[in-house]
Amino acid sequence: MYAVETQSLVKRYGKAYALRDLDFTVDPEEIMVLLGPNGSGKTTLLLTLATVLKPTSGSARVMGLDVIKQPTKVRQILGISFQDARGFWRHKPAEILQFHAAMCGIKKSERKALIEAVLKELELWDARNKLFMHLSGGQAKRLEVAKLLIQSPKLAIFDEPSSQVDLRGKRTIWEQILKLREKGSTILVATNEVREAEYLADRVTILDQGKSVVCDTVQNLKDKITGGDIVELELERAEDNTEILDALGKIPGTVKLMSLDKNRYKAHVSIGEAWVPKMTSLCYERRVRVSSVRVTEPSLDDVFLSFTGKKLETSDNA
Amino acid sequence: MRRVIRLVWFDLKPELKPPVWILLEWFTFTMQLFIYGAIISQLVKAQAIGNYQQFYAVGFVVIMTFDIGSHAGRSFVEHAHEGRLPYLLSLPISRSKLFLAITLQGGAELAIMLTVPMALTLSLLGNLTVVSVVAAIAALFCLGFGVAGLMLGLSFIAFKSSDMYSAIVTGLSTIIIRFSTVLYPLIFLPPGYASVAALSPLTYGADLVRFLLGFNPSILLDPMYAVSVLVALAVGTLGLGAFLLQRLVEGVKSG
Repeated sequence: MYAVETQSLVKRYGKAYALRDLDFTVDPEEIMVLLGPNGSGKTTLLLTLATVLKPTSGSARVMGLDVIKQPTKVRQILGISFQDARGFWRHKPAEILQFHAAMCGIKKSERKALIEAVLKELELWDARNKLFMHLSGGQAKRLEVAKLLIQSPKLAIFDEPSSQVDLRGKRTIWEQILKLREKGSTILVATNEVREAEYLADRVTILDQGKSVVCDTVQNLKDKITGGDIVELELERAEDNTEILDALGKIPGTVKLMSLDKNRYKAHVSIGEAWVPKMTSLCYERRVRVSSVRVTEPSLDDVFLSFTGKKLETSDNA
Repeated sequence: MRRVIRLVWFDLKPELKPPVWILLEWFTFTMQLFIYGAIISQLVKAQAIGNYQQFYAVGFVVIMTFDIGSHAGRSFVEHAHEGRLPYLLSLPISRSKLFLAITLQGGAELAIMLTVPMALTLSLLGNLTVVSVVAAIAALFCLGFGVAGLMLGLSFIAFKSSDMYSAIVTGLSTIIIRFSTVLYPLIFLPPGYASVAALSPLTYGADLVRFLLGFNPSILLDPMYAVSVLVALAVGTLGLGAFLLQRLVEGVKSG
């Protein structure tokens, strides 16, 4: 049984489609990252699974429970950390967490210690008695994440968990999400941050315009890109480059080759590990010494670009 | 049920710590009644009304009930836009219990806000029975729920445009209060005004409360008619609110 399964899921707002015939699965105790730009349907999918929104058509199940027919039961086994932590302006973090823990059925005897531990782990302890309206954006976001850490639901849904949070705070949140999975939760994270996806994901689903474009592990996605690996090399002989440049271009797996300056080249290749040995033996045969080789993997942004033809991280969401 | 009460208390608590708004409402009522009400009663001398300060006191309590009910309805819409409602919708309780909690919270706010104004009004009137006081309070609650439901019923506009919703609600509130019997009896209104006032829920609330508190029945609407309208309003609009919560809100575009 899948932890999450949707079949032909559609969500429409008037004539606009937020989700189009989405088929999507998440395995138990997996961290699935939904990667997509703003407006790709990530939040709509999460809210539909959390029974906050009703789908227009299709089906969605969480741990085998139908989100349309058994919404209350679904809410009892999942928790969601929203993209925008808003709406409790006149409450304090400690009160908000007390309330959330009580509503989620956590025993009174366990609440205090649990809340204290989570507040300290997320560096919110000193802000526990500030009004919500006086919290910084990062603190409010960490408080939103804290709700799920206290709840430890079977399915934990995080919508852009580390947006507005500084680098140190991001790392803390990611580590806590990994710990939550270790406790047995299945995790679903929506993000448009490449680093977040790479840090957390067991598998990544790329969403674009409400459709699942591709789903696989990060490594497999990178391997699927033609010309995704980049090899930068420096050669010692620099008199006549034309011949060696032609030969390098003919190595199987070479997608694009360019000269950076008179000694340095940059090659986009399919699989770096296969291309580099062929390159070194070619250079050996031609008596050209290789001064340095650097192989870099494509980023998930490159993966996204390759599958959708669009850049994922823009100045708006990077 | 424990979760429902917890939800009500969670939302109510900030209003009471400290209870600034409540005290200000009570202060405003006291000033209106004992300064404006006392002076205007010297100017308004109608035999059918008797002591206008008493008539005015009940009218002002009805206006407060309208304001509180209206505020509860508008808060619901604001919560939808602020992101609080999605959180409430994600909590592990059924939709019916969530709606019950929202309704009870509105009722509790109404009860707290009206405590002092109602006590002052009753002390001004004197010679009342427990039954008549309880019935009058019940009528006010019925009106409060009806108005909150009415504002919820209009919330579909807010999901298209919150500015348009604010403009319509403000304009409607102005009309509903002025074209009603909260400050003057129906029989004193020109026929054109009276026919519009017959459409205002405040007319039925004010006349029913006055009837129950012993005002001259000849200047008031038939109490049975008023009861029917108020009950229909409360049940109808709260039903509409529940429907909206189930259907419309869960279709609100997020972010």
